[in-house]
Amino acid sequence: MGRVIDKLYAYIYLRGFKIWSSYRTQMVLNVLSWVLPVFTYYFVGTSLGDKLVGEIGVPNYTAFIVIGLAFQGYVSSTITTISQRLRNEQLYGTIEYYVLSSGGVLSFLFYSAIWGFVINTVNAAVTLSIGLALKVHYDVNLLSTLIIIFLLLLSTIGFAMLSAGFTMMVKQGNPIAFFFSTFTTLMSGTVFPVTILPTPVKDVSLAIPLTWALNGLRLSMLSGEGVMQLANIIGVLILFNVILLPLGIGFYSYSFKRGRKKGTLSEY
Amino acid sequence: MIKVVNISKTFRTGGKEVKALNDVSFELEKGKIGALVGHNGAGKTTLLKILSTLIIPDTGDAYINGYSVTKQEKEVRRNIGIMMVSERAFYYRLSGFDNLVFFGIIQGLSVSEAKSVAKEVLDLVGLSEWKDVQYMKYSTGMQRKLALARALILDPPVILLDEPTLGMDVVSSRDFRSLIKVISREKTILLTSHNMKEVEDLADKIFVLKRGNLIAEGTKEDILAKLGKVKLVSVRDVPKGFDKYVVGYNNGTFFLRVPETENISGDVIREELPTLEDVFVYLMGEEIDSIRNKSRRGGWRRWGE
Repeated sequence: MGRVIDKLYAYIYLRGFKIWSSYRTQMVLNVLSWVLPVFTYYFVGTSLGDKLVGEIGVPNYTAFIVIGLAFQGYVSSTITTISQRLRNEQLYGTIEYYVLSSGGVLSFLFYSAIWGFVINTVNAAVTLSIGLALKVHYDVNLLSTLIIIFLLLLSTIGFAMLSAGFTMMVKQGNPIAFFFSTFTTLMSGTVFPVTILPTPVKDVSLAIPLTWALNGLRLSMLSGEGVMQLANIIGVLILFNVILLPLGIGFYSYSFKRGRKKGTLSEY
Repeated sequence: MIKVVNISKTFRTGGKEVKALNDVSFELEKGKIGALVGHNGAGKTTLLKILSTLIIPDTGDAYINGYSVTKQEKEVRRNIGIMMVSERAFYYRLSGFDNLVFFGIIQGLSVSEAKSVAKEVLDLVGLSEWKDVQYMKYSTGMQRKLALARALILDPPVILLDEPTLGMDVVSSRDFRSLIKVISREKTILLTSHNMKEVEDLADKIFVLKRGNLIAEGTKEDILAKLGKVKLVSVRDVPKGFDKYVVGYNNGTFFLRVPETENISGDVIREELPTLEDVFVYLMGEEIDSIRNKSRRGGWRRWGE
Protein backbone atom coordinates (compact mmCIF):
# COMPACT_ATOMS: atom_id res chain seq x y z
CA MET A 1 0.00 0.00 0.00
CA GLY A 2 2.88 2.30 0.85
CA ARG A 3 4.38 1.79 -2.60
CA VAL A 4 1.03 2.69 -4.20
CA ILE A 5 0.96 5.95 -2.26
CA ASP A 6 4.55 6.66 -3.29
CA LYS A 7 3.66 6.07 -6.94
CA LEU A 8 0.58 8.28 -6.59
CA TYR A 9 2.83 11.04 -5.24
CA ALA A 10 5.10 10.64 -8.25
CA TYR A 11 2.46 10.38 -10.97
CA ILE A 12 -0.29 12.58 -9.56
CA TYR A 13 1.67 15.29 -7.77
CA LEU A 14 5.04 15.50 -9.54
CA ARG A 15 4.31 14.30 -13.08
CA GLY A 16 0.68 15.46 -13.03
CA PHE A 17 -0.16 18.45 -10.89
CA LYS A 18 3.22 20.19 -10.70
CA ILE A 19 3.71 20.18 -14.46
CA TRP A 20 0.07 20.93 -15.24
CA SER A 21 0.00 23.89 -12.87
CA SER A 22 3.25 25.31 -14.26
CA TYR A 23 1.30 26.14 -17.41
CA ARG A 24 -0.97 28.68 -15.73
CA THR A 25 -2.83 29.85 -18.81
CA GLN A 26 -3.58 26.27 -19.82
CA MET A 27 -4.85 25.60 -16.32
CA VAL A 28 -7.33 28.44 -16.58
CA LEU A 29 -8.44 27.32 -20.02
CA ASN A 30 -8.96 23.78 -18.72
CA VAL A 31 -11.26 25.04 -15.98
CA LEU A 32 -13.18 27.19 -18.46
CA SER A 33 -13.57 24.19 -20.76
CA TRP A 34 -15.29 22.36 -17.91
CA VAL A 35 -17.64 25.17 -17.04
CA LEU A 36 -18.73 26.66 -20.34
CA PRO A 37 -20.34 23.59 -21.95
CA VAL A 38 -22.71 23.21 -19.02
CA PHE A 39 -24.11 26.69 -19.63
CA THR A 40 -24.15 26.17 -23.37
CA TYR A 41 -26.36 23.12 -23.13
CA TYR A 42 -28.40 24.62 -20.31
CA PHE A 43 -29.45 27.45 -22.59
CA VAL A 44 -30.03 25.02 -25.45
CA GLY A 45 -32.45 23.11 -23.23
CA THR A 46 -34.07 26.24 -21.91
CA SER A 47 -34.61 27.65 -25.37
CA LEU A 48 -36.08 24.38 -26.64
CA GLY A 49 -38.53 24.31 -23.77
CA ASP A 50 -39.66 21.51 -21.46
CA LYS A 51 -42.38 20.25 -23.83
CA LEU A 52 -40.06 19.63 -26.74
CA VAL A 53 -37.42 18.10 -24.51
CA GLY A 54 -40.07 15.96 -22.84
CA GLU A 55 -41.05 14.51 -26.21
CA ILE A 56 -37.65 12.83 -26.46
CA GLY A 57 -38.04 11.29 -23.05
CA VAL A 58 -36.05 13.78 -20.97
CA PRO A 59 -38.12 15.29 -18.16
CA ASN A 60 -35.40 17.67 -17.00
CA TYR A 61 -32.83 18.57 -19.63
CA THR A 62 -30.48 20.41 -17.28
CA ALA A 63 -30.22 17.38 -15.02
CA PHE A 64 -29.74 15.18 -18.08
CA ILE A 65 -26.79 17.14 -19.46
CA VAL A 66 -25.17 17.78 -16.11
CA ILE A 67 -24.80 14.05 -15.50
CA GLY A 68 -23.70 13.54 -19.11
CA LEU A 69 -21.04 16.24 -19.08
CA ALA A 70 -19.80 15.39 -15.59
CA PHE A 71 -18.97 11.80 -16.48
CA GLN A 72 -18.30 11.84 -20.22
CA GLY A 73 -14.95 13.47 -19.47
CA TYR A 74 -13.81 10.36 -17.62
CA VAL A 75 -13.89 8.48 -20.87
CA SER A 76 -13.06 10.83 -23.71
CA SER A 77 -10.41 12.94 -22.08
CA THR A 78 -8.84 10.08 -20.11
CA ILE A 79 -8.40 7.98 -23.23
CA THR A 80 -6.98 10.88 -25.22
CA THR A 81 -4.93 12.00 -22.22
CA ILE A 82 -3.27 8.61 -21.91
CA SER A 83 -2.65 8.36 -25.60
CA GLN A 84 -1.28 11.89 -25.58
CA ARG A 85 0.73 11.19 -22.42
CA LEU A 86 2.38 8.20 -24.09
CA ARG A 87 3.19 10.26 -27.15
CA ASN A 88 4.55 13.02 -24.92
CA GLU A 89 6.82 10.56 -23.17
CA GLN A 90 8.12 9.49 -26.57
CA LEU A 91 8.71 13.13 -27.45
CA TYR A 92 10.28 13.83 -24.07
CA GLY A 93 12.49 10.77 -24.43
CA THR A 94 11.35 9.35 -21.11
CA ILE A 95 9.36 6.36 -22.36
CA GLU A 96 12.35 4.04 -22.13
CA TYR A 97 12.75 4.86 -18.45
CA TYR A 98 9.21 3.72 -17.85
CA VAL A 99 10.00 0.42 -19.54
CA LEU A 100 12.97 0.09 -17.19
CA SER A 101 11.01 1.07 -14.09
CA SER A 102 10.00 -1.43 -11.45
CA GLY A 103 6.32 -1.29 -12.42
CA GLY A 104 6.96 -1.36 -16.15
CA VAL A 105 4.63 0.02 -18.78
CA LEU A 106 1.43 -1.24 -17.17
CA SER A 107 2.23 0.78 -14.09
CA PHE A 108 2.85 3.81 -16.31
CA LEU A 109 -0.55 3.45 -17.92
CA PHE A 110 -2.40 2.71 -14.71
CA TYR A 111 -1.05 5.70 -12.83
CA SER A 112 -1.39 7.98 -15.87
CA ALA A 113 -5.04 6.93 -15.98
CA ILE A 114 -5.38 7.87 -12.33
CA TRP A 115 -4.12 11.36 -13.13
CA GLY A 116 -6.76 11.57 -15.84
CA PHE A 117 -9.39 10.42 -13.34
CA VAL A 118 -8.26 12.96 -10.75
CA ILE A 119 -8.54 15.82 -13.21
CA ASN A 120 -11.92 14.61 -14.39
CA THR A 121 -13.16 14.16 -10.84
CA VAL A 122 -12.50 17.86 -10.34
CA ASN A 123 -14.33 18.45 -13.62
CA ALA A 124 -17.22 16.28 -12.47
CA ALA A 125 -17.41 18.05 -9.11
CA VAL A 126 -17.44 21.46 -10.79
CA THR A 127 -20.10 20.35 -13.26
CA LEU A 128 -22.33 18.77 -10.63
CA SER A 129 -21.98 21.89 -8.48
CA ILE A 130 -23.08 24.06 -11.39
CA GLY A 131 -26.00 21.68 -11.76
CA LEU A 132 -26.87 22.25 -8.14
CA ALA A 133 -26.76 26.01 -8.73
CA LEU A 134 -29.03 25.52 -11.73
CA LYS A 135 -31.53 23.82 -9.42
CA VAL A 136 -30.93 20.22 -10.42
CA HIS A 137 -32.40 17.98 -7.77
CA TYR A 138 -30.07 15.09 -6.89
CA ASP A 139 -31.38 11.92 -5.30
CA VAL A 140 -28.22 9.86 -5.00
CA ASN A 141 -27.91 6.19 -4.16
CA LEU A 142 -24.24 6.20 -3.22
CA LEU A 143 -23.55 2.47 -3.57
CA SER A 144 -24.98 1.99 -7.04
CA THR A 145 -23.43 5.29 -8.16
CA LEU A 146 -19.97 4.28 -6.96
CA ILE A 147 -20.29 0.81 -8.51
CA ILE A 148 -21.23 2.25 -11.89
CA ILE A 149 -18.46 4.85 -11.75
CA PHE A 150 -15.94 2.15 -10.81
CA LEU A 151 -17.03 -0.10 -13.69
CA LEU A 152 -16.94 2.86 -16.07
CA LEU A 153 -13.39 3.69 -15.00
CA LEU A 154 -12.29 0.08 -15.50
CA SER A 155 -13.72 -0.01 -19.01
CA THR A 156 -11.99 3.30 -19.68
CA ILE A 157 -8.68 1.76 -18.68
CA GLY A 158 -9.38 -1.09 -21.11
CA PHE A 159 -9.98 1.32 -23.99
CA ALA A 160 -7.05 3.47 -22.88
CA MET A 161 -4.74 0.48 -23.14
CA LEU A 162 -6.00 -0.28 -26.63
CA SER A 163 -5.53 3.37 -27.56
CA ALA A 164 -2.06 3.54 -26.04
CA GLY A 165 -1.11 0.36 -27.86
CA PHE A 166 -2.07 1.99 -31.15
CA THR A 167 -0.03 5.06 -30.28
CA MET A 168 2.94 2.85 -29.53
CA MET A 169 2.65 1.16 -32.90
CA VAL A 170 1.57 3.89 -35.28
CA LYS A 171 2.92 6.94 -33.37
CA GLN A 172 0.36 9.31 -34.89
CA GLY A 173 -3.15 8.65 -36.14
CA ASN A 174 -4.79 6.71 -33.36
CA PRO A 175 -8.31 5.62 -34.38
CA ILE A 176 -9.45 4.81 -30.86
CA ALA A 177 -8.43 8.15 -29.39
CA PHE A 178 -9.96 9.83 -32.47
CA PHE A 179 -13.25 8.01 -31.98
CA PHE A 180 -13.50 8.80 -28.29
CA SER A 181 -12.50 12.41 -28.62
CA THR A 182 -14.85 13.03 -31.54
CA PHE A 183 -17.86 10.75 -31.27
CA THR A 184 -18.62 10.15 -27.62
CA THR A 185 -20.59 13.36 -27.24
CA LEU A 186 -22.64 12.36 -30.29
CA MET A 187 -23.16 8.69 -29.57
CA SER A 188 -23.10 8.00 -25.86
CA GLY A 189 -26.12 9.90 -24.64
CA THR A 190 -24.10 12.74 -23.18
CA VAL A 191 -26.31 15.63 -24.30
CA PHE A 192 -29.31 13.84 -25.79
CA PRO A 193 -30.74 10.35 -25.35
CA VAL A 194 -29.51 7.70 -27.77
CA THR A 195 -33.10 6.69 -28.44
CA ILE A 196 -33.40 9.48 -30.98
CA LEU A 197 -30.41 8.28 -33.01
CA PRO A 198 -31.00 6.36 -36.25
CA THR A 199 -31.05 2.61 -35.59
CA PRO A 200 -27.60 1.69 -36.97
CA VAL A 201 -25.98 4.52 -35.02
CA LYS A 202 -27.95 3.64 -31.92
CA ASP A 203 -26.67 0.08 -32.15
CA VAL A 204 -23.09 1.40 -32.18
CA SER A 205 -23.84 3.61 -29.20
CA LEU A 206 -25.00 0.57 -27.25
CA ALA A 207 -21.57 -0.95 -27.80
CA ILE A 208 -20.00 1.90 -25.83
CA PRO A 209 -19.82 1.37 -22.04
CA LEU A 210 -20.32 5.08 -21.45
CA THR A 211 -23.83 4.93 -22.92
CA TRP A 212 -24.87 2.36 -20.32
CA ALA A 213 -22.98 4.08 -17.53
CA LEU A 214 -24.61 7.46 -18.16
CA ASN A 215 -28.02 5.84 -18.25
CA GLY A 216 -27.26 4.11 -14.96
CA LEU A 217 -25.82 7.23 -13.34
CA ARG A 218 -28.88 9.29 -14.23
CA LEU A 219 -31.04 6.69 -12.52
CA SER A 220 -28.75 6.31 -9.48
CA MET A 221 -28.08 10.04 -9.00
CA LEU A 222 -31.39 11.59 -9.99
CA SER A 223 -33.88 8.88 -8.99
CA GLY A 224 -31.94 7.13 -6.21
CA GLU A 225 -32.18 3.71 -7.84
CA GLY A 226 -30.21 0.96 -6.11
CA VAL A 227 -28.03 -1.95 -7.15
CA MET A 228 -30.89 -4.41 -7.66
CA GLN A 229 -32.86 -1.99 -9.79
CA LEU A 230 -29.82 -1.29 -11.92
CA ALA A 231 -28.64 -4.92 -12.06
CA ASN A 232 -29.01 -5.16 -15.84
CA ILE A 233 -26.89 -2.06 -16.44
CA ILE A 234 -24.29 -3.18 -13.93
CA GLY A 235 -24.24 -6.60 -15.56
CA VAL A 236 -23.61 -5.12 -19.00
CA LEU A 237 -20.77 -2.99 -17.65
CA ILE A 238 -19.19 -6.03 -16.00
CA LEU A 239 -19.41 -7.86 -19.32
CA PHE A 240 -17.67 -4.97 -21.09
CA ASN A 241 -14.85 -5.11 -18.57
CA VAL A 242 -14.47 -8.87 -18.86
CA ILE A 243 -13.80 -8.35 -22.56
CA LEU A 244 -11.99 -5.03 -22.59
CA LEU A 245 -9.51 -5.42 -19.76
CA PRO A 246 -7.75 -8.60 -20.93
CA LEU A 247 -7.89 -7.38 -24.52
CA GLY A 248 -6.43 -4.03 -23.51
CA ILE A 249 -3.68 -5.51 -21.34
CA GLY A 250 -2.77 -8.01 -24.05
CA PHE A 251 -2.65 -5.48 -26.88
CA TYR A 252 -0.80 -2.87 -24.82
CA SER A 253 1.84 -5.36 -23.68
CA TYR A 254 2.17 -6.70 -27.22
CA SER A 255 2.71 -3.19 -28.62
CA PHE A 256 5.61 -2.56 -26.24
CA LYS A 257 7.16 -5.94 -26.92
CA ARG A 258 6.90 -5.20 -30.62
CA GLY A 259 8.55 -1.83 -30.01
CA ARG A 260 11.41 -3.54 -28.20
CA LYS A 261 11.84 -6.09 -31.00
CA LYS A 262 11.85 -3.40 -33.66
CA GLY A 263 13.92 -0.95 -31.59
CA THR A 264 11.25 1.73 -31.99
CA LEU A 265 10.28 2.41 -28.36
CA SER A 266 11.46 5.99 -28.33
CA GLU A 267 10.47 6.84 -31.91
CA TYR A 268 7.65 9.29 -32.44
CA MET B 1 30.21 -7.92 -14.92
CA ILE B 2 28.92 -7.86 -18.50
CA LYS B 3 28.98 -10.82 -20.82
CA VAL B 4 27.75 -10.67 -24.39
CA VAL B 5 27.27 -13.94 -26.23
CA ASN B 6 26.66 -14.11 -29.99
CA ILE B 7 24.30 -11.15 -30.11
CA SER B 8 22.79 -10.36 -33.50
CA LYS B 9 20.16 -7.83 -34.38
CA THR B 10 18.66 -6.87 -37.71
CA PHE B 11 16.23 -4.00 -38.21
CA ARG B 12 13.73 -4.01 -41.01
CA THR B 13 12.42 -0.65 -42.17
CA GLY B 14 10.60 0.19 -45.38
CA GLY B 15 11.51 -3.12 -46.95
CA LYS B 16 15.22 -2.70 -46.23
CA GLU B 17 17.21 -4.79 -43.78
CA VAL B 18 19.96 -3.30 -41.69
CA LYS B 19 22.18 -5.67 -39.78
CA ALA B 20 22.93 -3.61 -36.68
CA LEU B 21 24.86 -6.31 -34.83
CA ASN B 22 26.38 -9.48 -36.16
CA ASP B 23 27.33 -12.24 -33.76
CA VAL B 24 28.99 -9.97 -31.20
CA SER B 25 30.59 -11.52 -28.14
CA PHE B 26 32.79 -10.06 -25.41
CA GLU B 27 33.21 -9.84 -21.68
CA LEU B 28 33.86 -6.96 -19.35
CA GLU B 29 35.03 -7.91 -15.91
CA LYS B 30 33.60 -6.58 -12.71
CA GLY B 31 34.89 -3.19 -11.66
CA LYS B 32 36.28 -2.28 -15.08
CA ILE B 33 35.41 0.49 -17.50
CA GLY B 34 34.80 -0.64 -21.06
CA ALA B 35 34.44 1.60 -24.10
CA LEU B 36 32.48 0.73 -27.20
CA VAL B 37 33.81 2.67 -30.17
CA GLY B 38 32.89 2.67 -33.81
CA HIS B 39 31.63 4.82 -36.65
CA ASN B 40 28.10 6.24 -36.67
CA GLY B 41 25.69 3.38 -37.18
CA ALA B 42 28.18 0.73 -36.05
CA GLY B 43 25.75 -0.70 -33.51
CA LYS B 44 27.01 0.83 -30.27
CA THR B 45 23.72 2.26 -29.04
CA THR B 46 21.82 -0.81 -30.22
CA LEU B 47 24.10 -2.99 -28.14
CA LEU B 48 23.70 -0.76 -25.11
CA LYS B 49 19.95 -0.91 -25.45
CA ILE B 50 20.04 -4.68 -25.73
CA LEU B 51 22.07 -4.84 -22.54
CA SER B 52 19.49 -2.66 -20.81
CA THR B 53 16.58 -4.80 -22.17
CA LEU B 54 15.16 -1.97 -24.24
CA ILE B 55 15.74 -3.91 -27.43
CA ILE B 56 15.28 -7.66 -27.81
CA PRO B 57 18.10 -9.32 -29.76
CA ASP B 58 17.28 -11.65 -32.64
CA THR B 59 19.78 -14.24 -31.51
CA GLY B 60 22.24 -14.62 -28.70
CA ASP B 61 22.07 -13.39 -25.15
CA ALA B 62 23.85 -11.13 -22.74
CA TYR B 63 24.35 -11.30 -19.00
CA ILE B 64 24.46 -8.49 -16.52
CA ASN B 65 25.92 -9.79 -13.26
CA GLY B 66 24.80 -13.25 -14.31
CA TYR B 67 21.23 -12.29 -15.24
CA SER B 68 20.08 -12.92 -18.78
CA VAL B 69 18.75 -9.89 -20.68
CA THR B 70 16.32 -12.09 -22.60
CA LYS B 71 15.01 -14.26 -19.76
CA GLN B 72 15.55 -12.27 -16.55
CA GLU B 73 14.66 -8.75 -17.61
CA LYS B 74 13.43 -7.59 -14.20
CA GLU B 75 16.65 -8.67 -12.47
CA VAL B 76 18.75 -7.04 -15.18
CA ARG B 77 16.85 -3.76 -14.80
CA ARG B 78 17.49 -3.79 -11.06
CA ASN B 79 21.19 -4.18 -11.71
CA ILE B 80 21.76 -1.43 -14.22
CA GLY B 81 21.67 2.32 -14.45
CA ILE B 82 21.62 3.82 -17.91
CA MET B 83 22.45 7.25 -19.23
CA MET B 84 21.18 7.69 -22.75
CA VAL B 85 22.41 10.14 -25.29
CA SER B 86 19.27 12.23 -25.55
CA GLU B 87 19.16 15.47 -23.57
CA ARG B 88 15.40 15.26 -23.78
CA ALA B 89 14.72 12.54 -21.27
CA PHE B 90 13.61 14.69 -18.36
CA TYR B 91 10.61 16.80 -17.52
CA TYR B 92 11.58 20.31 -18.45
CA ARG B 93 9.20 22.00 -16.04
CA LEU B 94 10.31 20.07 -12.99
CA SER B 95 13.43 20.89 -11.03
CA GLY B 96 16.45 18.61 -11.13
CA PHE B 97 15.54 17.39 -7.66
CA ASP B 98 11.90 16.67 -8.54
CA ASN B 99 12.99 14.85 -11.68
CA LEU B 100 15.28 12.56 -9.71
CA VAL B 101 12.65 11.97 -7.02
CA PHE B 102 10.15 11.03 -9.71
CA PHE B 103 12.46 8.59 -11.42
CA GLY B 104 13.57 7.21 -8.08
CA ILE B 105 9.99 6.44 -7.11
CA ILE B 106 9.08 4.77 -10.38
CA GLN B 107 12.17 2.63 -9.97
CA GLY B 108 10.82 1.38 -6.67
CA LEU B 109 12.00 3.76 -3.96
CA SER B 110 9.65 5.27 -1.42
CA VAL B 111 9.15 9.05 -1.45
CA SER B 112 11.47 9.59 1.51
CA GLU B 113 14.13 7.24 0.08
CA ALA B 114 13.93 8.93 -3.30
CA LYS B 115 14.31 12.38 -1.76
CA SER B 116 17.26 11.28 0.32
CA VAL B 117 19.02 9.54 -2.58
CA ALA B 118 18.28 12.45 -4.91
CA LYS B 119 20.08 14.83 -2.54
CA GLU B 120 23.05 12.45 -2.32
CA VAL B 121 23.50 11.92 -6.03
CA LEU B 122 22.98 15.61 -6.80
CA ASP B 123 25.76 16.32 -4.34
CA LEU B 124 27.95 13.65 -5.93
CA VAL B 125 27.58 15.10 -9.42
CA GLY B 126 27.95 18.68 -8.21
CA LEU B 127 24.40 19.91 -8.82
CA SER B 128 23.27 20.60 -5.25
CA GLU B 129 23.13 24.33 -5.83
CA TRP B 130 20.84 23.89 -8.81
CA LYS B 131 18.60 21.20 -7.41
CA ASP B 132 15.53 23.46 -7.25
CA VAL B 133 16.08 25.01 -10.66
CA GLN B 134 13.86 23.82 -13.49
CA TYR B 135 15.57 21.37 -15.83
CA MET B 136 14.88 23.59 -18.83
CA LYS B 137 17.32 26.12 -17.39
CA TYR B 138 20.20 23.66 -17.12
CA SER B 139 23.23 23.92 -19.39
CA THR B 140 24.26 20.92 -21.49
CA GLY B 141 26.87 19.92 -18.93
CA MET B 142 24.37 20.10 -16.11
CA GLN B 143 21.87 18.06 -18.10
CA ARG B 144 24.44 15.33 -18.63
CA LYS B 145 25.29 15.36 -14.95
CA LEU B 146 21.65 14.99 -14.03
CA ALA B 147 21.37 12.09 -16.45
CA LEU B 148 24.32 10.45 -14.73
CA ALA B 149 22.71 11.14 -11.36
CA ARG B 150 19.59 9.32 -12.51
CA ALA B 151 21.67 6.33 -13.56
CA LEU B 152 23.06 6.20 -10.02
CA ILE B 153 19.79 6.40 -8.11
CA LEU B 154 19.55 2.71 -7.30
CA ASP B 155 23.31 2.43 -6.82
CA PRO B 156 23.42 -0.29 -9.47
CA PRO B 157 26.53 -2.43 -9.93
CA VAL B 158 26.53 -1.88 -13.71
CA ILE B 159 26.29 1.49 -15.43
CA LEU B 160 25.73 1.98 -19.16
CA LEU B 161 26.66 5.39 -20.57
CA ASP B 162 25.81 6.38 -24.13
CA GLU B 163 28.10 9.18 -25.29
CA PRO B 164 28.34 10.65 -21.80
CA THR B 165 30.16 13.87 -22.75
CA LEU B 166 28.37 14.58 -26.01
CA GLY B 167 27.97 18.31 -26.51
CA MET B 168 30.05 19.28 -23.50
CA ASP B 169 32.89 21.77 -23.55
CA VAL B 170 36.44 20.71 -22.85
CA VAL B 171 36.49 21.63 -19.18
CA SER B 172 33.09 20.11 -18.48
CA SER B 173 34.12 16.92 -20.30
CA ARG B 174 37.23 16.66 -18.20
CA ASP B 175 35.26 17.18 -14.99
CA PHE B 176 32.74 14.62 -16.12
CA ARG B 177 35.45 12.08 -16.81
CA SER B 178 36.79 12.62 -13.31
CA LEU B 179 33.31 11.98 -12.00
CA ILE B 180 33.08 8.73 -13.94
CA LYS B 181 36.38 7.64 -12.46
CA VAL B 182 35.07 8.36 -8.97
CA ILE B 183 31.90 6.31 -9.42
CA SER B 184 33.70 3.49 -11.20
CA ARG B 185 35.51 2.31 -8.12
CA GLU B 186 33.07 -0.48 -7.37
CA LYS B 187 31.05 -0.54 -10.53
CA THR B 188 31.28 -2.01 -13.98
CA ILE B 189 30.86 0.70 -16.57
CA LEU B 190 30.35 0.33 -20.29
CA LEU B 191 30.30 3.53 -22.29
CA THR B 192 30.09 4.46 -25.93
CA SER B 193 32.12 7.31 -27.26
CA HIS B 194 33.45 9.05 -30.33
CA ASN B 195 35.94 10.93 -28.22
CA MET B 196 39.23 9.06 -28.31
CA LYS B 197 40.71 11.24 -25.58
CA GLU B 198 37.86 10.17 -23.35
CA VAL B 199 38.36 6.52 -24.26
CA GLU B 200 42.06 6.81 -23.64
CA ASP B 201 41.45 8.45 -20.29
CA LEU B 202 38.84 6.11 -18.97
CA ALA B 203 38.75 2.72 -20.57
CA ASP B 204 40.33 -0.39 -19.13
CA LYS B 205 39.10 -2.27 -22.17
CA ILE B 206 38.10 -1.11 -25.65
CA PHE B 207 35.69 -2.83 -28.03
CA VAL B 208 35.73 -1.69 -31.63
CA LEU B 209 32.55 -2.14 -33.67
CA LYS B 210 32.37 -1.77 -37.42
CA ARG B 211 29.13 -2.35 -39.28
CA GLY B 212 27.81 -4.44 -36.42
CA ASN B 213 30.90 -6.61 -36.14
CA LEU B 214 33.35 -6.63 -33.27
CA ILE B 215 36.64 -6.19 -35.11
CA ALA B 216 38.99 -5.55 -32.22
CA GLU B 217 39.04 -5.67 -28.45
CA GLY B 218 41.59 -5.29 -25.75
CA THR B 219 43.35 -2.81 -23.55
CA LYS B 220 44.56 0.49 -24.94
CA GLU B 221 47.99 -1.04 -25.48
CA ASP B 222 46.50 -4.02 -27.34
CA ILE B 223 44.58 -1.69 -29.65
CA LEU B 224 47.56 0.60 -30.26
CA ALA B 225 49.73 -2.40 -31.07
CA LYS B 226 47.54 -3.07 -34.11
CA LEU B 227 49.18 -0.20 -35.91
CA GLY B 228 52.87 -0.05 -35.17
CA LYS B 229 53.97 3.50 -35.89
CA VAL B 230 52.46 6.33 -37.93
CA LYS B 231 54.29 8.72 -40.19
CA LEU B 232 53.34 12.35 -40.69
CA VAL B 233 53.52 12.88 -44.46
CA SER B 234 53.02 15.91 -46.67
CA VAL B 235 51.69 15.57 -50.24
CA ARG B 236 50.36 17.85 -52.96
CA ASP B 237 47.66 15.39 -54.01
CA VAL B 238 45.98 12.89 -51.74
CA PRO B 239 46.03 9.45 -53.34
CA LYS B 240 42.79 7.51 -53.63
CA GLY B 241 41.94 5.70 -50.43
CA PHE B 242 44.03 7.99 -48.22
CA ASP B 243 41.44 10.70 -47.57
CA LYS B 244 40.78 9.37 -44.14
CA TYR B 245 44.37 10.05 -43.04
CA VAL B 246 44.28 13.76 -43.85
CA VAL B 247 44.76 15.83 -40.70
CA GLY B 248 45.64 19.25 -42.11
CA TYR B 249 46.00 21.48 -45.16
CA ASN B 250 48.11 24.51 -45.76
CA ASN B 251 48.84 26.43 -48.92
CA GLY B 252 48.29 23.59 -51.36
CA THR B 253 49.90 20.93 -49.18
CA PHE B 254 48.01 18.13 -47.41
CA PHE B 255 49.29 16.58 -44.20
CA LEU B 256 48.46 12.97 -43.47
CA ARG B 257 49.03 10.61 -40.53
CA VAL B 258 49.56 7.31 -42.29
CA PRO B 259 50.28 3.90 -40.75
CA GLU B 260 53.84 2.84 -41.46
CA THR B 261 52.53 -0.23 -43.27
CA GLU B 262 50.81 1.90 -45.94
CA ASN B 263 52.75 2.90 -49.04
CA ILE B 264 52.44 6.56 -49.95
CA SER B 265 54.71 8.88 -51.93
CA GLY B 266 55.35 12.11 -50.09
CA ASP B 267 57.69 13.85 -47.72
CA VAL B 268 57.86 12.07 -44.40
CA ILE B 269 58.09 14.75 -41.75
CA ARG B 270 58.42 12.44 -38.81
CA GLU B 271 57.42 9.07 -37.39
CA GLU B 272 55.72 8.67 -34.08
CA LEU B 273 53.69 6.31 -31.96
CA PRO B 274 50.03 6.13 -32.92
CA THR B 275 47.17 7.52 -30.92
CA LEU B 276 43.86 5.73 -30.45
CA GLU B 277 42.42 8.05 -33.06
CA ASP B 278 45.00 6.84 -35.59
CA VAL B 279 44.06 3.23 -34.88
CA PHE B 280 40.38 4.05 -35.08
CA VAL B 281 40.75 5.70 -38.46
CA TYR B 282 42.81 2.78 -39.72
CA LEU B 283 40.35 0.18 -38.47
CA MET B 284 37.29 2.02 -39.73
CA GLY B 285 38.89 2.28 -43.14
CA GLU B 286 36.33 2.34 -45.91
CA GLU B 287 33.58 3.49 -43.51
CA ILE B 288 35.25 6.85 -43.19
CA ASP B 289 35.91 6.98 -46.94
CA SER B 290 32.26 6.21 -47.51
CA ILE B 291 31.15 9.01 -45.19
CA ARG B 292 33.48 11.51 -46.83
CA ASN B 293 32.39 10.45 -50.33
CA LYS B 294 28.74 10.86 -49.41
CA SER B 295 29.55 14.30 -47.99
CA ARG B 296 31.30 15.26 -51.24
CA ARG B 297 28.35 14.08 -53.34
CA GLY B 298 26.21 16.29 -51.15
CA GLY B 299 28.29 19.27 -52.23
CA TRP B 300 30.69 19.48 -49.31
CA ARG B 301 34.24 20.25 -50.24
CA ARG B 302 37.28 18.34 -49.25
CA TRP B 303 39.97 20.41 -47.61
CA GLY B 304 41.69 22.52 -50.18
CA GLU B 305 39.07 22.12 -52.89
